[in-house]
Amino acid sequence: MALDRGDLVVEESTALSHDEAHESSTTTKEIAGKSPRQIAFSRLRRDKLAVFCTLTLVFLVLLAICAPLITRFFDIYWDVSDPNAPNTTDVLDFDGYPKIGPPFHGFTWDHPLGVAPRKGYDNLAYLLYGLRTSLVVCVLATVFSTLIGVVLGLVAGFSRGWLDRGISFFTDLLLSFPYLLAMLALAPIITSRFTTDLDMLAKAQVISLISILVIFGWMGLARLIRGQVLSLREREFILAAEVIGVPTRQILFKEMLPNLVAPIVISISLSLPAFVAAEAGLSFLGLGLTGYPSLGKMVADATPYYADYGLYLWLPVGAIALLTLSLNLLGDAVRDAFDPRTRR
Amino acid sequence: MRLKRSAVAVATASLLALAACGGGGDDDSGGSSAGDKVDNENLGNTGSGTDPDRQGPVTIEGAKEGGTVNVISSPGMTTPIDPSDLYYTDTNAIMTSLVTRALTQYSYDADTGQMILVPDLATDLGTPNDDFTEWKFTLRDGVKWENGQPVTADEVMFGIVRSMDGKTFPNGPGLYYSNPYFLGGEDYKGPYTDPDAQQQAVSVDGNTITIKMATPFPDFPYYASFPAMGPIPTDPAVSDPAKYAQHPLATGPYKIEQYTIGKSMTLVRNDQWDPATDPARTAYPDSYVFKVGQQSEAIDQIMLADSGDGKTTIAYDDVLAQDYRKMDETGRLVTGGQPCTYFYALDQRKVPDKSIAEALTWAIPYNDQIVATGLIPDVNAVATQNLMPPGVPGREEYDPVEGHGPFQTDPEKAKQILADSGNEGFEIKFLFSTDSDVSTAGKDVLVKGLEAAGFKATPVATTLADSVADRDDVNGDINMRSYGWCSDWPSGATWVPPIFQSTDLEEVGFGTNEAAFNNPEIDAKIDAVFEMPAEEQPKAWNDLEKEIMTTYLPVVPRYYGGVVQMHGSQIEGMVIDNTLGMPSFRNIWVNAG
Repeated sequence: MALDRGDLVVEESTALSHDEAHESSTTTKEIAGKSPRQIAFSRLRRDKLAVFCTLTLVFLVLLAICAPLITRFFDIYWDVSDPNAPNTTDVLDFDGYPKIGPPFHGFTWDHPLGVAPRKGYDNLAYLLYGLRTSLVVCVLATVFSTLIGVVLGLVAGFSRGWLDRGISFFTDLLLSFPYLLAMLALAPIITSRFTTDLDMLAKAQVISLISILVIFGWMGLARLIRGQVLSLREREFILAAEVIGVPTRQILFKEMLPNLVAPIVISISLSLPAFVAAEAGLSFLGLGLTGYPSLGKMVADATPYYADYGLYLWLPVGAIALLTLSLNLLGDAVRDAFDPRTRR
Repeated sequence: MRLKRSAVAVATASLLALAACGGGGDDDSGGSSAGDKVDNENLGNTGSGTDPDRQGPVTIEGAKEGGTVNVISSPGMTTPIDPSDLYYTDTNAIMTSLVTRALTQYSYDADTGQMILVPDLATDLGTPNDDFTEWKFTLRDGVKWENGQPVTADEVMFGIVRSMDGKTFPNGPGLYYSNPYFLGGEDYKGPYTDPDAQQQAVSVDGNTITIKMATPFPDFPYYASFPAMGPIPTDPAVSDPAKYAQHPLATGPYKIEQYTIGKSMTLVRNDQWDPATDPARTAYPDSYVFKVGQQSEAIDQIMLADSGDGKTTIAYDDVLAQDYRKMDETGRLVTGGQPCTYFYALDQRKVPDKSIAEALTWAIPYNDQIVATGLIPDVNAVATQNLMPPGVPGREEYDPVEGHGPFQTDPEKAKQILADSGNEGFEIKFLFSTDSDVSTAGKDVLVKGLEAAGFKATPVATTLADSVADRDDVNGDINMRSYGWCSDWPSGATWVPPIFQSTDLEEVGFGTNEAAFNNPEIDAKIDAVFEMPAEEQPKAWNDLEKEIMTTYLPVVPRYYGGVVQMHGSQIEGMVIDNTLGMPSFRNIWVNAG
């Protein structure tokens, strides 16, 4: 045994050193040095955990994208009011437990992951569409909060004086404001605005959810960027650019921004899972989405049935865990890859 | 009568939810229904018997004295227990069974499973004059307060007069019965609000109390069972409303040792209570401990575990649907009726065509709705056709829509009716609460059922907090309202007039006539029934209901209320008081083995 393992390690290390040797030989041929981004990506490619997480994420995204195809293939529905969906009592017993499939009956291809008790929707269909919602919400929230954070951070860091003080004060103000409270206050207001048009209501809920996540999600990045800019702007190349009269906008976005890619990428990779968790948490509390399926809502639906129908709870919990874990680990790997001080 | 308060919030939620519920379906689910285990005949039975000659003391064969009964509930006991201010089902059951005595009371009849009206403080069920505008009650001797003082006729009179003070007791039943029915009740503001005014309704002659009515009130003996129709100490220092609400003096078998509203209450034996004076109550346990405000899931787990104090515990909430099977296996589940009917009221100003109501009757996915909203078909949501639940005197079953059986859903037939009457795609607008899981689940199912039947379903979103106000808004842009009505006593007079009598929509709103069914011809018929001799009224109410339902169909009944409650293994004699949907605390004892 010990020998085998030793062999394996030796093999691996030779493979790695071979890779490195190969790469260094190609770079010497090209003479030009590698940009920090290229170094980071080559490091990422060699990080097995990062590759595995990426593959998992690609798989989850594919599942979410193909949700309509999969549900059509199985003829399953997340929305019980769909005209083609089975009637509630066709799939549920008098006490709300499924008549077919888990927990009390055997596996059936009609509903591969079972039927939700009391609600009567198909678990697989709901899970897929819930995954869709989670991904859409977390991606949009991340994109917008990153944009806002970067722009405000750059402006605050570079402007000095009253603009910096104003933005910093605003950042601190939002940091100290509890976003749960904002959501608690907003949910009924939005509902009363869109009472007659349920489609609009569902859209409004998504938009407001994303807005809340964005409004309370950009401050960390803005502070980080501001700090970086404060130190960057004293560097020679920025001073030189200023002296020769390069417009401020160009200094900000052409000179500064490329040097800030690393913190931005790291912030993105860490805020994605945070937004997934926040969406699930808010929907669990009933403050998030009602018109669209949500993994958080499914967890809330499933908790009373945990004792008898564990699968029902483990499905959304597992999906959330898988999504956030792979995003988090990938985020860690990205941070390591971009950090020049870590050498692996 | 009102349900437990939080239940009202929840119930209205669930009503709306239910209103919102629907689902499709030819739902002959075949096989697995709880229906075969439950005696549907008596489930919704709300009692109709009376026994004016019943005498105490009452004993239960084999019952043992001693022990403490623990009572738990999630939403219960959040409403006042001052007898004049008490109008909710749970506090009513607890106080009338254990603490306070009134002129009359109910007694459980094991043979029929019904509650029977028997005397309490009075020696009989009262003597009316010819046109029921005057009732005389003779008080029995030997009834004492917990402090040993005898209960006097003056104190009973004061209690009855006190119920007319609607401003001091806004929660009480007086506003609905004492003031409208009692002579001068509309003008008399009560002993606290207007201390100088003289009331004309109640008078005392020795041991006899006379109550004069402004309009005939043949059902007064039923109203006399409310705690508000019992004695209150005349000493203002004792019966000061703010103080008395904390500690109403006991005349029944138990007195209050500790009480915190919405939290807990401890009852201990009242040694001044003489069983010989009481035709219905027993008092075997030494004490009762009430604890409310626990989570429903936790309550179910306590009851299922049945260990420690759980063995002597009663839960007066319905068992959750998901725990029904497990609980049913233990044999510690008690089912019973509740005099409530849940229905959809179609706004008659917007849905005047009866064929739409007929189509709706076929379209509503009764079973789907009930399951989706966490109720159990035929257990706590009992099949219905009539508006009046079983047990109301004079009630006879009929089919409001020809050929339609209880809980029968047939979208094809609904479609046919809509097509024949030229109403294809008729838009049904109803409320649901986005922040209530039950409400949205019900909405989803109802939308499917309505669409399958050829309606256009338009759910209108609201929130739990606004749902009742939005439903009762006469100008609201909805045409179907979900409503539930519970009667205060088994009589057609508590069903047909509140639901179908015209109301001034501009001035008072719907009142309880959620269908906005304003028909002068029917109003005249309602008045005519009130004028009839008492013995003809029960049949007349039923005939009138049948006439309204078959001619106009302003409401579509969905189900009757029911209760399914749990008790620990050492609790004996737990039965359901069908007039309230609560345990009949009069019969309970602890069997410690």
